[in-house]
Amino acid sequence: MGIRFILMVNKQGQTRLAQYYEYLTLEERRALEGEIVRKCLARTEQQCSFVEHRNYKIVYRRYASLFFLVGVDNEENELAILEFIHLLVETMDRHFGNVCELDVMFHLEKAHFMLEEMVMNGCIVETSKANILSPIQLMDKAS
Amino acid sequence: MEQLKTIGRELAMSSQGGFGQSKEFLDLIKSIGETRSKAEEDRIVLREIDTLKARLSSPNTPKFKLKEYLMRLIYVEMLGHDASFGYIHAVKMTHDESLSLKRTGYLAVTLFLNEDHDLIILIVNTIQKDLKSDNYLVVCAALNAVCRLINEETIPAVLPQVVELLGHQKEAVRKKAVMALHRFYQRSPGSVSHLISNFRKRLCDNDPGVMAASLCPLFDLIVIDVNSYKDLTVSFVNILKQVAERRLPKSYDYHQMPAPFIQIKLLKILSLLGNGDKKSSEQMYTILGDIIRKCDSDSNIGNAVLYECICCVSSIHPNPKLLESAADTISKFLKSDSHNLKYLGIDALGRLIRISPEIAEQHQLAVIDCLEDPDDTLKRKTFDLLYKMTKSSNVEVIVDRMIDYMISINDHHYKTEIASRCVELAEQFAPSNQWFIQTMNKVFEHAGDLVNPKVAHNLMRLIAEGFGEDDDTADSQLRSSAVESYLRIIGEPKLPSNFLQVICWVLGEYGTADGKYSASYITGKLCDATEAHSTDDTVKAYAVTALMKIYSFEIAAGRKVDMLPECQSLIEELLASSSTDLQQRAYELQAVICLDARAVENIMPMDANCEDIEIDKNLSFLDAYVQESLEKGAQPYIPEDVRSGLSNISNFRSQDHESSTHALRFEAYELPKPSVPSKVPSVLSSSAELVPITQPSYVAEVHQPASSALTVSSSGSSELKLRLEGVQKKWGRPAFSSTTPSPSSSDTFGSNNGTTQHESISSTKSKVHNVSYDSRKQQTEVSSEKKKLAASLFGGASKSDRKQSYSGQKVSKTNSHASDKSIIAEATSSSDTAAVRPTSQPPPDLLDLGEQTVTSSAPSVDPFKQLEGLLNLTQDTTNLSSSGVSMPDAPDLMSIYADMSSSSQSTTVAPPPNVTKAHLAKQPSKGSNVQEFLEKDALVRQVGVTPSGQNPNLFKDLLD
Repeated sequence: MGIRFILMVNKQGQTRLAQYYEYLTLEERRALEGEIVRKCLARTEQQCSFVEHRNYKIVYRRYASLFFLVGVDNEENELAILEFIHLLVETMDRHFGNVCELDVMFHLEKAHFMLEEMVMNGCIVETSKANILSPIQLMDKAS
Repeated sequence: MEQLKTIGRELAMSSQGGFGQSKEFLDLIKSIGETRSKAEEDRIVLREIDTLKARLSSPNTPKFKLKEYLMRLIYVEMLGHDASFGYIHAVKMTHDESLSLKRTGYLAVTLFLNEDHDLIILIVNTIQKDLKSDNYLVVCAALNAVCRLINEETIPAVLPQVVELLGHQKEAVRKKAVMALHRFYQRSPGSVSHLISNFRKRLCDNDPGVMAASLCPLFDLIVIDVNSYKDLTVSFVNILKQVAERRLPKSYDYHQMPAPFIQIKLLKILSLLGNGDKKSSEQMYTILGDIIRKCDSDSNIGNAVLYECICCVSSIHPNPKLLESAADTISKFLKSDSHNLKYLGIDALGRLIRISPEIAEQHQLAVIDCLEDPDDTLKRKTFDLLYKMTKSSNVEVIVDRMIDYMISINDHHYKTEIASRCVELAEQFAPSNQWFIQTMNKVFEHAGDLVNPKVAHNLMRLIAEGFGEDDDTADSQLRSSAVESYLRIIGEPKLPSNFLQVICWVLGEYGTADGKYSASYITGKLCDATEAHSTDDTVKAYAVTALMKIYSFEIAAGRKVDMLPECQSLIEELLASSSTDLQQRAYELQAVICLDARAVENIMPMDANCEDIEIDKNLSFLDAYVQESLEKGAQPYIPEDVRSGLSNISNFRSQDHESSTHALRFEAYELPKPSVPSKVPSVLSSSAELVPITQPSYVAEVHQPASSALTVSSSGSSELKLRLEGVQKKWGRPAFSSTTPSPSSSDTFGSNNGTTQHESISSTKSKVHNVSYDSRKQQTEVSSEKKKLAASLFGGASKSDRKQSYSGQKVSKTNSHASDKSIIAEATSSSDTAAVRPTSQPPPDLLDLGEQTVTSSAPSVDPFKQLEGLLNLTQDTTNLSSSGVSMPDAPDLMSIYADMSSSSQSTTVAPPPNVTKAHLAKQPSKGSNVQEFLEKDALVRQVGVTPSGQNPNLFKDLLD
């Protein structure tokens, strides 16, 4: 299955975006987010960007105040996921220009649309920024 | 500074306004963004819920407003509050004509609903309609929703359209249609089995995006059935080549790497296709070499691709050149300062040592550094590696390390995992039974509730069977030490139930055996334990039975039984217990201690738990009775499965007896049997799980009134374990009941004469078991993981690995053997056969040490010879010698040997005859400097450390 969930959380531990590729109830999500955010926030810069949590492996990366956390299963290439996070950030940056936490907050749906293009069924399907952004740009033009 | 930026952005946002966002929305986001505590955030969200409820229920909300409300609903749920009141509005919005509203509607629906939600049915129609839309963006939005919301039942409703869209002119649509089909395949493979070929077609799509998407379903398919896709190997290799040669559009580049994510997916697929397949693997060698050479090892993404290459190289049929470059890459990773790269390096090392074990040696220090690292992630990964490297010579160090770590963590998930690994390694490689028992004690003490109850059973059996050789002194020594350690541990205030059961059983069986402890001392301890754990009926039951055994042994030995007052009160309490099982045991105990010595000796023979019990499976002694009844007009017995027509249910039971017997064992037709002393050779019993006690006593209880002394004796004499076996026999696998039918069951009680034949069989069996405590498990339940483990170890087990990897080769292809030979030779010589071929790799440090000690005491002894005797305890010497002899000139012979040795290993791991001696020699050697030094040094070396001046503390740590 590959990617199980993608989270964006700020350094206060507040969720800014959450996308799950398997169904979890609201309580489960809440508990999971709390646990892994606590775990990741406690780690230092030098330590691995990977953390095991229950049956997930969490790959995380910090950009200023915002943490990107991706939960994957055991078969994923952790370093590639780490770079996938960066690709996502670069893509958002290209769209928003100097992307920051507030951009994601104000345009949550756009961030989701980008993810919808990049990841389907928990697999990375699109990695060309042009291809990811073109439907969103077209939609912006139409409205 | 950051604040300024924020303010500027906010101004820009509010002035833009073009996004259709109201002041209200901006305020909401701002207030959420500014909260400092969760409580504050919750207050805001709760207020927001009230607002939204009111707004959404008013009929005249304009559409553009609705979109904003939906986004606010998404916020509500994202922040952990229920927004189900608004779900229906999300569903409604999917009907909207406007693309942006529709897509937001779909987004909200996919975030809110799971595929089994009731509202899905309202969306299927919309999806169907949208899949036919002229606007391809609408189709894409609908396909996104298909991937999230369509469940097994609704697949047929959209399947024809999705298939049609596979040929859509827009590549974005084709891509999403492929993924939709992939989703259907994940959900219900049967529903799309006739459409699988479409994935192959899309692999050849003109658009790289569609091609890349089709790799996802193809990967899943290949995981399940490699052989059907071998023909695609060439295509995948070609695609990978084109990608690596930058034939894809520039937009796929990432940090100057051509489409790295596609490369990685392709490498994953190739590693599956090439696994154990020389022909396919050969097609990949060139491209793999090219990629490894070209990869930029300074960027993360370059290293990610390199890592994937190593995974692939270590999975496919080995190629010396590629292995070499993989090893180089690994050392680069391990030497890096980045923890991420170290992590990958350790992981990759774990993969590569399966093929070339000698590589671990170069990285000993790096590995130990990672093990010492405060970073938990790195540490765990290193434990994974050690777990893969474990063999009989280093198991002590590794398992001790694991246990120390296990004690130090609180994370239950990982604790369970590491505890089970310790058990697994200990069961597999234990150098001595004493060590095994000590290790198990530690595991039980600290994670007893997390390990499989089976483990407890194995431990009891080991103590009972001992070395299995006819070395009674060693056995009794083992038992004495077990008793001693348990007497020490039993006083601890909190012990896991599993462990207490073991303790009670061992104290009951062997507490008084060596005469060191008096019966009253042991019984006193047992009573204390029951008192301390008064809520645990299972422990109580074990304790009472242990008391019964101790008293019986006392009576049989002609001593007077003085029951301690606390025992008395315990038994009185249990006589009135609400648990019938405990009552039963208490009554039995009372009955037994009133009998005379001879009777007691017969029903409770000393140390009889290993004896074989014959079973009259057909209940032949009842034949006369049945005949009589039939003559009197009784109906013949029809088996229940025939009666109810559920003939498969027994199969089900036997397959899944671990879980199902518990639920099913109270069924009526079990009743006629218990008066048979249902006993199976105890060798077989080990694979039976530790079954709760209530059940056997139920059996015994029903028949107590009917039979007198015989029943008492049957239930009394058989320890828990034995009585269970009858049940096991009835419910368990058919194989369990294959004992020779005995003419009469009663004379098996306690009489060794009647069962000599059996006993000899079992004793030979258990002799053979010695190292593999559970041969049955090995035979039937060897998990693939264990096989992998065995293959990855350096030791004799690596033979089987070799056998696997070469089995595909034809005998005539001696060339390739010759080319690989050097690796093998190196591998074996550098790891466990170091002692056999001392000149191959003389570790200088070891020699230094040797010199130092040699001068002090034993100048004439070759240190390596000593090592051989000391350390290769459980190694299959025939294996070693055979590989040593046959390798230089007869590669084919070697593979035959590998065949033989691996097969013999899988059934029985026969220890060399000198095991016991060697082990015993170990104890007195404590005082001798030479041996102690050598032993420690070799141990360290085998676990993967070479002494050096760089990190002297390391050794202290490892060795103490």
